[in-house]
Amino acid sequence: MNANTKMKYREALAIAMAEAMDNPHTILIGQGVTDFKGIWGTTTGLAQKFTQRVIETPLSEDGVAGICIGAALNGMYPINTHIRADFGLLIFNQLINLAAKYRYMFGGLFEVPMMFRMVIGRSWGQGAQHSQSFQSLLSHIPGLVVLMPANPQSILQSYRYARKHHKGPVVMFEHRLMYELEFEDKPGAELLNPFGSRIDRVGSDLTIVATSVMVLEATRAADYLSEFGINVEIIDLHSISHPDHDLILNSVKKTGRLLVADTSWLPYGVAAEICRIIAERDPTVLKQPVRSLGMQQAPCPTAKALEDFYYPDVRNIVEAAVLLVRGSGHAIPLPPKQAMTDFYKHFKGPF
Amino acid sequence: MTKTDSIYEKLFFEALRIRLVEEKIIELYPSDKIQSPVHLSIGQEAVAVGLCRHLGPEDWIFINYRGHAFYLAKGGPMPELFAELYGKKTGLSKGKAGSMHLAAPSQGVMGASAVVGSTISHAVGAALASKIKGENRIFVTVFGDGATEQGAYHESLNFASLHNLPVLFLCENNGLAVHASLQERQAFSLVDHARVYGIEAISFHDGFDFVRFSELCCDVLQKIRSTKRPMLIEVKTCRYKEHVGPGEDFDAGYRALADVIAWKAKDPLCIDKDLISRYAPEIMSEIGDAVFFAENSPFPTIDDLLTDVI
Repeated sequence: MNANTKMKYREALAIAMAEAMDNPHTILIGQGVTDFKGIWGTTTGLAQKFTQRVIETPLSEDGVAGICIGAALNGMYPINTHIRADFGLLIFNQLINLAAKYRYMFGGLFEVPMMFRMVIGRSWGQGAQHSQSFQSLLSHIPGLVVLMPANPQSILQSYRYARKHHKGPVVMFEHRLMYELEFEDKPGAELLNPFGSRIDRVGSDLTIVATSVMVLEATRAADYLSEFGINVEIIDLHSISHPDHDLILNSVKKTGRLLVADTSWLPYGVAAEICRIIAERDPTVLKQPVRSLGMQQAPCPTAKALEDFYYPDVRNIVEAAVLLVRGSGHAIPLPPKQAMTDFYKHFKGPF
Repeated sequence: MTKTDSIYEKLFFEALRIRLVEEKIIELYPSDKIQSPVHLSIGQEAVAVGLCRHLGPEDWIFINYRGHAFYLAKGGPMPELFAELYGKKTGLSKGKAGSMHLAAPSQGVMGASAVVGSTISHAVGAALASKIKGENRIFVTVFGDGATEQGAYHESLNFASLHNLPVLFLCENNGLAVHASLQERQAFSLVDHARVYGIEAISFHDGFDFVRFSELCCDVLQKIRSTKRPMLIEVKTCRYKEHVGPGEDFDAGYRALADVIAWKAKDPLCIDKDLISRYAPEIMSEIGDAVFFAENSPFPTIDDLLTDVI
């Protein structure tokens, strides 16, 4: 990207897929990769150009994931798409019992480089089975790389790196809410570790470790807080399976305060893992107890009135941040509660 | 290998070699030197030798936790097998696989899984890649009758047929899933079911007869090579030992000893004493060397623990 270029999240995914297909050993396989919607425009046109290697599938997630492993053993780079991460649950046997272990279990005899694109379907009204974020479940498993790209630059960089340099399975959790958002590029992004965490915003009063779309919400909160003299540092965790421990610890050492904002449930999740890193490395860097924000501990309700309470938003982030930095006696007004689906207004159903 | 002059003798030698390896495992097992669950193929060797005779290293097989027979029949090296069972660093998978995850990629043994039915789709995927690359190879998935109850099996049959993939689905039907009989598990006929997917399916009942089974495999593999279509063989076979472990468990009452005795009465490896005595010394010498190799190999160390994770 050139300086000041703008790109949509979806456009970056489409570029990443087109680049991937230029390699004659890539196969793009999943429900909807050949249809007119093309995974929300990220695979559109590729089936016409690469008739053999862009493959529509039966509704057989488990079988298709195994087919991807077999194809990888035979020299292909499979990209397997799931238009809802929830459907990806059906491949967990192949992903966890087989793909994640194929290299280790056979003592290095095999490599199965492949990519699974799982889209977190959160928008409005997606309900309990079209909205889930499984990054923690999969990051628990040795052998998997789990990424949550939060902007087009991260997509372009990490998808390319995964294909060209990583010899095992990579799971990409893409967030549906970001698909149509336009991002301005940031200088120096090309220098980042494609599979690493990154400082998204430099600050001194508070560290927010955020995942996926929560990086955007944290940024909105940080903009708001800056007007009240609170400088927030934001870490875009990006690599959920292999977070950068030093980066996180050094940031918290500097700010003394930590807020974790994740797209999923809190127990045993990203926030728990970030706390483990701090607690094991040096808990004395914390001036305050850690705060964390994620989905409420329930399945996702469909009714928007409930959904708006279910997900944390910019108001929740500002509130948690202010409490951490200024304590309960602060005089900072909180922004109005506003669901992300309302803020990123372009989204319309049904998908 | 000993020079022999008939297909029967060649296949007998190969099958006996597998049986004697597993009988050596039984002998060694009480020593606790093999600290890996063993699912023995004794009684089912004819299937492996009958098939693998017609496969080259470029024709891949995907097997399961009961994999000693196919590993050896396909050309997997014996010393590295014993080293793997012993958990030694010289095992083909450096001791990380054990008995249940045998692999020998140079011979086309592409890995075994302990989760029933989970490598069936791998053969289909490898065949898909092969088709895209324009190769002329065959991919075999070997599984038991229990695996055919898994959804992934049905998904694999459908995909292989839909995409015209050169896959041989080979079901070793020993009538048992651990201790459960077919009657407790299946409401379908294996071959009728495969045919619903447009897959030509053949049932072979005399799974001890390696010569006739080998002839069948030859015909079927030729047909797959020419038509580029999947096929299925169900071969009836007999597991002589317990599901896992070196013993027998006829006293448990889930199956009849008489059935196994009747099968053994037809099994050349039980009845052809002349050939056994002719070949056993040479095979036992090879086994002795393999065990010696395993015994005298180093264990992996902590330096090996975290290699090949990612």
